[in-house]
Amino acid sequence: MEWDELEKEVVRCIKCGSCQTVCPIFKEIRSEASVARGKVNLIKAVIHGDVEANENFAERMSWCLNCKACVTNCPSGVKVDQLVLQARRKLVEDKGLPFTKKMILRLGLRNRWLFDIGMKMGALTQGMMFRTLENGRGMLPRLPMGLDYRRLIMPVSDKPLRTRYPETIVAEGAVKKVALFTGCMVNYINPAIGEAVIKILVNNKISIVIPANQHCCGTPAFANGDIPTAVELAKATVDHFADLDVDAVLIVCGSCGCALQSEYRDLLKDEPAYSEKVERLSKKVVDFTVFMAEIGLKGVLHPVDKVVTYHESCHLTRGQGVKSQPRQLMNSIPGIQISEMKDPGRCCGAAGSFSLSHYELSMKINQHKVKDIAATNATTLVTGCPSCIMHIKDGLNQGGYDTEVLHIAELIAKAYD
Amino acid sequence: MQAELLDKFRQIVGKEYVLDQFEDRYCYTYDASSISVGKTGTPALVVRPANVGEVSLIMKLANEFKIPIIPRGAGTNVSGGTVSRADAVVMVLDRMNKIILIDTKNLVAELEPGVVTADFQSEVEKLGLFYPPDPASRGYSTMGGNVAECAGGPRGAKYGVTRDYVLGLEVVLATGEIIKTGSRTMKSVAGYDLTRLIVGSEGTLAIVTKIIVKLIPLPEGKKTMLAIFDDLYKASETVAQVFMAGVVPTTLELLDNIYIRNIEDYVHIGLPVDAEAVLLIEVDGYMECLDRQIELVSKICLEQGAVKIQVAKTPQEAEELWVARRSAFASVSKVRPTIIGEDATVPRDKIPDVVKQIREIAEKYKIIIAVLGHAGDGNLHATILTDERDKEEMVRVEKAIGEILHASLAAGGTLTGEHGIGRMKSKYLGLEVGQDGLNLMKTIKRALDPNNILNPGQMLGE
Repeated sequence: MEWDELEKEVVRCIKCGSCQTVCPIFKEIRSEASVARGKVNLIKAVIHGDVEANENFAERMSWCLNCKACVTNCPSGVKVDQLVLQARRKLVEDKGLPFTKKMILRLGLRNRWLFDIGMKMGALTQGMMFRTLENGRGMLPRLPMGLDYRRLIMPVSDKPLRTRYPETIVAEGAVKKVALFTGCMVNYINPAIGEAVIKILVNNKISIVIPANQHCCGTPAFANGDIPTAVELAKATVDHFADLDVDAVLIVCGSCGCALQSEYRDLLKDEPAYSEKVERLSKKVVDFTVFMAEIGLKGVLHPVDKVVTYHESCHLTRGQGVKSQPRQLMNSIPGIQISEMKDPGRCCGAAGSFSLSHYELSMKINQHKVKDIAATNATTLVTGCPSCIMHIKDGLNQGGYDTEVLHIAELIAKAYD
Repeated sequence: MQAELLDKFRQIVGKEYVLDQFEDRYCYTYDASSISVGKTGTPALVVRPANVGEVSLIMKLANEFKIPIIPRGAGTNVSGGTVSRADAVVMVLDRMNKIILIDTKNLVAELEPGVVTADFQSEVEKLGLFYPPDPASRGYSTMGGNVAECAGGPRGAKYGVTRDYVLGLEVVLATGEIIKTGSRTMKSVAGYDLTRLIVGSEGTLAIVTKIIVKLIPLPEGKKTMLAIFDDLYKASETVAQVFMAGVVPTTLELLDNIYIRNIEDYVHIGLPVDAEAVLLIEVDGYMECLDRQIELVSKICLEQGAVKIQVAKTPQEAEELWVARRSAFASVSKVRPTIIGEDATVPRDKIPDVVKQIREIAEKYKIIIAVLGHAGDGNLHATILTDERDKEEMVRVEKAIGEILHASLAAGGTLTGEHGIGRMKSKYLGLEVGQDGLNLMKTIKRALDPNNILNPGQMLGE
């Protein structure tokens, strides 16, 4: 959707106000400008010249988690998520990116080698800047560096996932072959998730290709309106994955999944050389849980005695419609008992870089999630998105709860111990 | 707004509950109606008081400086009732959102205006009690707004509307005094019925700060059925017959072919796309009497020419039918982008005539008008499917609305069943109440609000 096409979409908002029931940001800010109806009407006002696309407008456009709750709930099906992203895009095109975002997105993300070095430096120096918690949950900042002192950060791994494995892992008696898109959070911060995925796949006689030169899916750039960077990253991902001779391309992060499965189509629609490749890739892209639920967990499954509760990440449950498969997988493992929380699809407030730029607000949203988790009798929180994991861990830690937090792959892998 | 005045408002409610940035204020230039007043109508300020004391201080200040006050809940009315104007302060009552008490012995509840209707309903239902009014927006509309607009809903056929449940109110007058109306008892005839005067007054007479409602026992069960017709006229004739047979359904919804086709296209639950009309009927009460009511209604529908009756066998099947009904607007929004829900209401036995006239009006002005009515109470929601960007078509739409209203009044009906007059219909109000009636309303308004600061321009058009 381009800026000049937006009018067609904004007039479809009948202003009923039903988004007030679901918007996590509105529940905290309570100003009409913070709810989907307000944002859509501000965009309309900018199109009609009633409101200027200035800093105040930009701030209001930043009040969106892209959680898609309003889109699912909207009686007219207005694509509020795309409208807000297009507004952010226009702001970047007209005014440029703020300095920090420019450094991270344009310099860091666009250059994989620089990003790798940065992450390596981070792994080496983080001990000076952060103190590690004794319970092994993560780190808290030691120095003032723009991060809240209370904020729990997960350390950058000293050995990223992709350096731990060869590009191809051949499973004995392989029946299928898949490619793994690792995503940044899993590769650099939480390689244990990737290790769990590989363990499960090998146990299910599935060979794995992990293209070594793969990089960020582009979501951070896309979400912040930096379309040129997002396009460049999308092209690189398509180049690395579209032509692989595999049965599926597995994703272990809700947001990366949305990008590869559907958002690339829009991002690369002006690149005719890519149209056929993008289609081919999007057909093969599938969330790890969907793929596993379809073939069913094979081999000997040891009991995993845990009471768990499952958080539906926004980009899995509404972005890709993945709801039943993770539960189906957990139910197939002996010993696992699911204790559902109230409203499992409610956003945890992370929203990727949103939690960096709006930490206070994202933690207020997070508190509802923490409360809902604590109200169950579960001792483990399971989810399918590494970004939610970091944010929910932070919230649980600040709330004084010792609930274990696992990616669903980490939970399933325990059955193969 | 002058810095001095701004400071005074800030002192009353606290700085963080005052919105003074243009982009924030701009978002109060519309509500759920089709009216948006834009930049030139952007309010001077938005304030969010926490209690009746703050509301009173705001009114005193506003009255002293003659600042128009626009009370607002969730901004979900469809009559333009909370649309702002440039010199006004919008007063949002969302922070006053406590259910004060639910008295299970006397079947009454007391609550603040910012409580969301559906939240209140689910709280009383946990106790086996029932607050029936169910406007389509009840999931997000507030009780204060429901009182101001006298909201209705599909259940109106059997259970009436908001006014039938409000026993008493606490209100702040335009001049700042706090008064109580009505009582917590089922009977009270002490003095004028000020409660009824204020319910449905659309924020023009006083600010509601507390509501006392009566509750009834929650019906034990319900059952849903669909009657399929090959003729819209026959379907609409059936409505009055059902009531004449002594059955009072909870809801009786009439959907025409335009809706049936689009809903089926949208939810795929096997609705009969060839049918000219369907009646979606729900009955409730004790378990033992549900089948009996359904049998009676089915018999009448078949006698009136229904080609098929479909009774939901399970709660899931019933839910599917209601999902279909609830997705009605969404489904037609794909036909044209702008949807205008008309609200004229007629006596039940006049439904067939007026439906016929609506069809003729649509043809005359070459616009699409679909019908989806709360037919059980004569509340015909003629839905105009149009495009607000097409100025020429909007002129025809405006003319068609005028003709629908005239037709409804001629049939002994009313301009609006549950949406209110607001800005949308203020120019028509005289048609229904007459010049003398209008003058009396204006006299009442001046008596309660001498400086005309409460939601001016609404309803009475001045």
